[in-house]
Amino acid sequence: MVRVLSMMMLGAALLLSGCASHVDYGDAQARETVTTDFGSTDLQMIAAKMVDDMMVFPPVVKMTQNRRPVLFVDRIKNKTTEHIDTESITDTIQSKLINSGKFRFVDMSVVDRVRQQLDYQSQSGMVDPSTAAQMGRQIGAEFMLYGNLSSIVKRAGSTKDVYYKFTLKLLNIQTGIIEWSNEKEIRKTRKKSLFGL
Amino acid sequence: MKIVRPAMALCVALLLAACSASNMGRMEVDDQGQPVTKVYSSNSLLASRLSVEHLQQKTVGNLLYMQATLENGWKFELDFQYKIKWFDKDGFELAPEGQPWRQLVMAGRSQNNVQAVAPNPSAVRFEIWVRE
Repeated sequence: MVRVLSMMMLGAALLLSGCASHVDYGDAQARETVTTDFGSTDLQMIAAKMVDDMMVFPPVVKMTQNRRPVLFVDRIKNKTTEHIDTESITDTIQSKLINSGKFRFVDMSVVDRVRQQLDYQSQSGMVDPSTAAQMGRQIGAEFMLYGNLSSIVKRAGSTKDVYYKFTLKLLNIQTGIIEWSNEKEIRKTRKKSLFGL
Repeated sequence: MKIVRPAMALCVALLLAACSASNMGRMEVDDQGQPVTKVYSSNSLLASRLSVEHLQQKTVGNLLYMQATLENGWKFELDFQYKIKWFDKDGFELAPEGQPWRQLVMAGRSQNNVQAVAPNPSAVRFEIWVRE
């Protein structure tokens, strides 16, 4: 009886350990193909392609030869049916461009907080005037980065095809001229196997 | 029993084939800018199908710009990933976490050029890694 009970306990322990969840770290740069939805690999491919192309475009090379132009990032319009954090794409592109040493950026999303800090420094009486940042000394952006992300989704039987197109443009704020533009296309296809496995 | 053994062997072979995902090949350009193709691959199947035909580099602005011509010697479509690693003159890898694995699907018996730009002007050489 004791042997039977111990065997049952061992079996139960094995079963429970088999059901235990398992968490592990993976390579953040590895290919991700869990679903056809927009994913980390798409974001990384888009950012790499856009930055690489912009860096070698001859007018941009000439423009950044002796100076670091100031840019600001406008939003990327999400025209797909998915909820996609497009700011994450532009954040990656912005980081790569800054780290290249070719461009500088102004961040329009923190203007209010910067103004609060400037007001505090100049009006609160708490800050040594000789170290306080002066109003009206910020540098104006020369170019604007903006774009679109669109998709075409098609289904036929057990096959789903998703086509993404990301467009990015660099506009000269003074002249209104688009100085550079490029696209990245991504196609993802999902086919369900016979038994849905 | 005679049927069971080969069937089990086949299953084991299929399982092993399904698990062999982390194989890599590599080629380099030395400090003098001379292409030195070195392919280190633990995946003999990928190495036998994919070859590096040509390596080029130039400087655009002050950034290193590379192009590698890859050839699929297999008659079927080849689906693999590649990654460019950039190094400075002291051998330090630049932005090691910023270089993604890029997907490439090559038609049977075809050539493709892959291109990339260094993340910053301190890059003097690169390596291209491939894996399934």
